[in-house]
Order: sequence, then structure tokens, then C-alpha cells
Amino acid sequence: MEKKARISKARLAEKLGKQYHGRNVAIWFNLAVTIITILLSMPFVKWIHIINPQELFAKLKLKEKVIEALHDSYSIYNILVFVRDTKTGSIGFFSMILLLVLVTMLFFQFKYIYRFFRKKKDTNGNLNLYLVARTGHIFTILLTLGCAGYIPFTTSRFGMQGFSLSPVVYIIGILAVISFACIVLVEAEERKIYRERGFLYEFRKNWVLFVMLIPVFIYFMINAYLPMLGVYFAFTSFNFRDGLWASPFIGFKNFEHLFKADLYRLTRNTILYNLAFILIGNITQVIFAILISQIVTRWFKRLSQTLMFMPYFVSYVILKVLVYNLFEYKSGVINTMLVSSGLERIDFYNEPIYWPFFITVFYLWKNLGYGMVVYLASITSISDEYYEAAKIDGANVFKQIRYITLPLIKPTFVILLLYALGSIMKGQFELFYQIIGNNGVLYNVTDIFDTYVYRITMTQPLHIGIGTAAGIYQAVFGFVVIIVTNYFVKKNNPDNALF
Amino acid sequence: MRNKIKEPASTLVLRFISGTFAILGSIVCLFPFLIIVSGSFTDNMTILHEGFSIIPKKFSLEAYKTIFRAPKDIMQAYIMTTYYTVVGTSLGLFATALCGYVISRNEFKYRNHVSFLIYFTSIFGGGIIPWYLMYASVLGLKGSTIAIWFPALTSPFHIILMRTFIKSAVPDAITESAKIDGAGHFTIFFRVVLPVLGPGLATVGLFLALGYWNDWYRSSMFSTNSDTWELQFYLYNLMNAQTAIKQMAQYTGLSTADLPTESVKMAMAVVATGPVLLFYPFVQKYFVTGITIGAVKG
Repeated sequence: MEKKARISKARLAEKLGKQYHGRNVAIWFNLAVTIITILLSMPFVKWIHIINPQELFAKLKLKEKVIEALHDSYSIYNILVFVRDTKTGSIGFFSMILLLVLVTMLFFQFKYIYRFFRKKKDTNGNLNLYLVARTGHIFTILLTLGCAGYIPFTTSRFGMQGFSLSPVVYIIGILAVISFACIVLVEAEERKIYRERGFLYEFRKNWVLFVMLIPVFIYFMINAYLPMLGVYFAFTSFNFRDGLWASPFIGFKNFEHLFKADLYRLTRNTILYNLAFILIGNITQVIFAILISQIVTRWFKRLSQTLMFMPYFVSYVILKVLVYNLFEYKSGVINTMLVSSGLERIDFYNEPIYWPFFITVFYLWKNLGYGMVVYLASITSISDEYYEAAKIDGANVFKQIRYITLPLIKPTFVILLLYALGSIMKGQFELFYQIIGNNGVLYNVTDIFDTYVYRITMTQPLHIGIGTAAGIYQAVFGFVVIIVTNYFVKKNNPDNALF
Repeated sequence: MRNKIKEPASTLVLRFISGTFAILGSIVCLFPFLIIVSGSFTDNMTILHEGFSIIPKKFSLEAYKTIFRAPKDIMQAYIMTTYYTVVGTSLGLFATALCGYVISRNEFKYRNHVSFLIYFTSIFGGGIIPWYLMYASVLGLKGSTIAIWFPALTSPFHIILMRTFIKSAVPDAITESAKIDGAGHFTIFFRVVLPVLGPGLATVGLFLALGYWNDWYRSSMFSTNSDTWELQFYLYNLMNAQTAIKQMAQYTGLSTADLPTESVKMAMAVVATGPVLLFYPFVQKYFVTGITIGAVKG
């Protein structure tokens, strides 16, 4: 066995030696192309020229002041500024896509350079390096093709030819194609040596598995990935005349507006509520799980668990009915009780102070059973031997809980807490919307991102730019929180990391 | 024999505390339901004058009679919700199981990439408005029933859950040997995987079905016609809008003033939630399994 392995290793080295020269040339050539691509796609290199400015500006009916601020040529980075200044929203989405492709391309080009100089040997030779190189070139080619398509697209939107491409674009495109071909050639050689198969091979072998993924692929494309392109709306000022895709591009104005008006309140409410939910929720669930686990009578244990789990199964609309029954001014249970004990009625629905407390209580009520399930499972999995040993040593139940149960469920507690912290920017939309509804008096203390955006979606179509901006802020903020928490979890114990 | 062993005092104290807390917890969780049920059996005027109570102060079946005198609307909502639940759960289960099968197979080289792409959608997204516009404007599904069931077909949580089930029920060795016998992946999926996937299908299916039954959100966004409303949204509207009450008065031939509005609301809540609470004790264990696995796997 060992001898065989040694022989094949020697053969491998020999083969690699033969290929070495060709590989090096390809890698170096690719490095050169990468550097040229990066240099030529810097902001100061103009890719798009305006031909015949006077005629174009007259056609777009621009004012003197606007014309003065315009340049005679643009790079992909600032073409959106042209869209904003000239209010040509119909080419805005295309321009944003070009910018996104450019950023992705630069990411891979820089990654190639980083990999090249890091010189870490992977188990499969240079195949990972080639993969990065290929991806970078694919995006370069996409970008040049996109730019080529941009010209006829703008021509049809302006009603005349407004832009022309700089030769730089063609140079980059051609270089990318050549370099791509070189990489594919050396990659094929190296694949043979390492017996690695490419995507095409995998696809041919396991195409049935790919077919099986189609339903879920379609679902996530429609439900998650394609809507991500809609972040473009956050940079536009929607109006019905121009429609979704042609409304004027206004840069970061929506974000400014949001920042001045509602951002602080929404962030504060969302985070504080979630913190209360996570901390109080987990602690209550742990306490109840420990207590329930102490019960010996089996039917009683099961019955109480079943009852406490019940609120999880009713819809939030029913929760709304409950809240209404309890706090309604005239016939609510609480007010009836207050009156019958000789006190004044309280108009809960007009008093913001009570609601943070109520909402937290109803959250706990609805999720007590759910959280208990997890902790009970973790308590049941503790071996009886620990408790037996503790009993023999004379520890009473309280000491057993303190020194056995609590330390052993601590990992579960920490993991659940961290997972929950990751979604701290996500609101419990249904909880808030059903309990508060459209009661404007309470918004200051009960409005979270999700309810805010929902109201805009349903009732204020002209503000969808601001609503989308709020959504982006929420998503990005939440994403950063997740990355940071995951970093600490990973440092603590890699097995618990999310990714 | 075990009962005869004398327990130390501390154990008994803790047991007493546990029992008390369990009873208190159960009461707190049950109490609001009792109010609803009792409200539905109470005379409407009594509710208006004396408020809700746990035991009906003046027993009356008027609310249920009113509902079943003209059950057209609620029947329609019931039928639609059943339709959404059945279609959504069955298609969703199929898609989820297929995907779970693929990413649980070691022979599928890109399983980690696919898992990450699925998981990524739960940590980042474009927000509600682009999502809404995707269905309403780009696909033009506003008012269509597809927009009600399609968006909840599956989720990263369901797929990961299903993957865990398939991985433990059908190890790679079994599919490998089936392949040697000449079976294709679809044959393996239908003949080998599905027959042993009962608990997994039940767990994920129940989560999906509960989600569909309790949903009101998608109706509020995409329904243009009250014929396509989900049951919970119908209930929500009944709670909010006077128009629904008026319409009901028209159907039943009662004047709006005579309609037992408060108790009818409660009776509607009972009718809408009844099936869930009746089924729930029997299927509770599947949810427990699902939650336990889901919590561990993230």
C-alpha cells in the first residue's frame, strides 16, 4: 500500500514538473490581466462618453444649472449620478446592475491577487486559484457585455444615441476572454492530475439531483433572491406616472429622510423589545422547564405541559381577540374587575405606558411552551447517575439543581441566546400588528421596523422608497449583528457556529 | 416499593413549588381561552353591560345560531383555508423532501453550497416591499390564490429539519446499494426514502399546515376579493370592521342593532380555532420533535 502511494506521488511530482512551465505562464498572464482589469476599472477611467451633448441635453429638456454640473464622460461608478441629475430613472436600474456586477468583479479580481501572493498550498493544487480566476473573468465578460447592451438600451430610452463606449471596455473584454481560455486549458490538465471533476462532470453524472432541486430553486429565487434586486427602489422617489422602474433616482435622500424622522425610534423599539423577549423569555422558560421536570405524577406533568404549549398553536388573530377581551374599555375583563372593586376604568388603548409591558407579557405567554420544550429535552438528557451520586453525597434538590442541572443546561441556554441575538433586528410582526393594529396613539412605544414598513406597503405607495430603505437598514444591521455573534460563537466553540 | 422511600423535606418543598407553578402556568395559559369560549355562550347584552367573565352570567346560544343561520361567508373562508392548507402543505412537503434528500447525500458535491444558499435567505433579504412588489407587480399575482400559498411553501428551517430526518432515516450506504441494483435517484426517493420518512413528513407537514391555518398576513396583502380570504383574515376583519357585521346582518335578516356582535365575534373565534385545539393534543409530540431538532441545528 505504502509503496504504491509513494510511487504515485513520485509520478504526480513528475507530471506536475512537466506541466510546471505552462501553468506558470498562465498564472502570471492571468495576474497581469487581473491588474490591468483593476486599473482600467478605477473610477478615473471613463467608460461611457456622451456623444453630441447639446442635442442630448435639449432632448432631455435639461436646465442650464443641471447641464453645468454634468460631465462629458462617466465611469460605471458615477453613471448613477448622471441618472440622478438628469432624472432619467428609466435607465437607473440597468445602471445599478452594472455597478453591482462591477463590484462583484473587483471582489474576485482582488481575491485572485490575494490568493496568488498568499501561496498557500491546497490539497488540490491550484484548482481553487483557477476557480477564483475563472469567476472573476466571467464577471468581467458580463460587465463588458452589459456595457455593450447599455448603449442600445439608453438609445431606445432617450430616443437618440446618447452614449458611446470607450475602447477600454473592448480591451478589457478581449483580455478577459483570452485569459479565461488559458485558465480553462491549464485547469483541465491539473484536473486530470488530481482526479478532480469540474461542475460539468458533476452535472452530467448527477443531473437527476439537480432536477430535484428545481422546485426549491424556483421558490427561493422568487421569494428571496430576485426581490433582493428591489433594493433599487430605496434609491428612487416613486411616482405613479413613471412607475416602479422609471421613477427618478435620488441617491441617498430616502435614507436621509428616514434618519431624520423615524430611524432612532424604530431601532430603539425593535432592539429593546427583542432584548426583553430574549432575556426574560429564556429565563422564564428555563425556570418553568426545571420546575416541570421535578414533577413526578406523570399525567399532571403531561397535562400542564400540554396546556402551557397551547398558546403557541393559536393564531395571532385570536391573540388580538384575547387582548381585546382583557383591555377593552367598556366590557374588558380588567375594567369589569376594576369597576366591581370600586376603582376607575382605565382607557388602556389610549395609554402608551402600559403597552411595552403587555406586549412582553403576551410574547412570554405565547412562547413559554415552545421554549420549555427545548430546555426540557436538554434536562431529560442529563444522566440520572449524576443525581444519584449527588444524593449519596447528601446534596438536596436545590443543590442538585444548582450544581448539576444549571451547569449542564448552560450550553443550550448560551446557544439559544446567541441564536436569538442574531435575529435581534427582526421584529415579531404579527404580535405587534395584531395587538396594536393601526392605533396611532401607541406608535411611539410600539412601532417596530416590520409594522412601519407594512403600513407603508399597504397604505402609502408613494413612500415605498423610504419603506425599502428602512428594510435595507434593518437587513444590513441584522446581518452585521449575525456575523459578529457568529464570530464569537465560533471562537468559543466551532461546533455551535451557524456557518 | 419506591413510594415507600421517605423523600427529604427539601424535595417535597420543591415538588410543592413545582406543582403550584405548573397549575398557575396552566391557568394563565388556559384562562384567556375560557373567556373566549364563555363569551361565545353569553348573552350579548350581558357582555355589553357587565363585561366578559369566565362563567357565562347569562347562558345563550344566540351567537352560534346567528353564525349557522347564514354560514355562507364563514364556510367560504373555511373552504379556502382548507384548500390553501392542503395544496400548500402537500406541494411544500414534496419540494422540501426532494431538496432535503439531495442535500443529505454525500455523493452530491455541492450540498454545502446549496445549504448555505438556502440558509442565507434567513439571515439577509431585500425587505418586505421588494418581496411584495415581486408578487404583486412583477408576477402580477395580486388577487390570485397562488400568492396566498406559494410564499409559504417551504423555509430554511423546514429544509434543514427534513435533511436531518432523511440523513438519520436513510444512510448513504442504503442509497449506494440501491444504485448498484440499478435504481435511479427518483426511484430511490419514491421507493426507499419516502416509505421510511413518515415521522419526518408528519413533523414538517404539521409545521407547514399550522402555518397555513393560522395565516392572515398574505390575505391582507394579496387578496382583492373576500371570496379568497383565509379564515384568520376573515376573523380579523370581523373584529375590526363594522362592514363585516353589517353584511352578516343582511344575510341573517336581522337589523344591525339586533345582531349579537360581541358574542358572535367570540363564537367565530371558537369556530376558527376549534380544529387546531382539537387536533393539537394528538400531534403535539411531532412538534416537540421538530422544535428539539430545529433548536439544536439552528
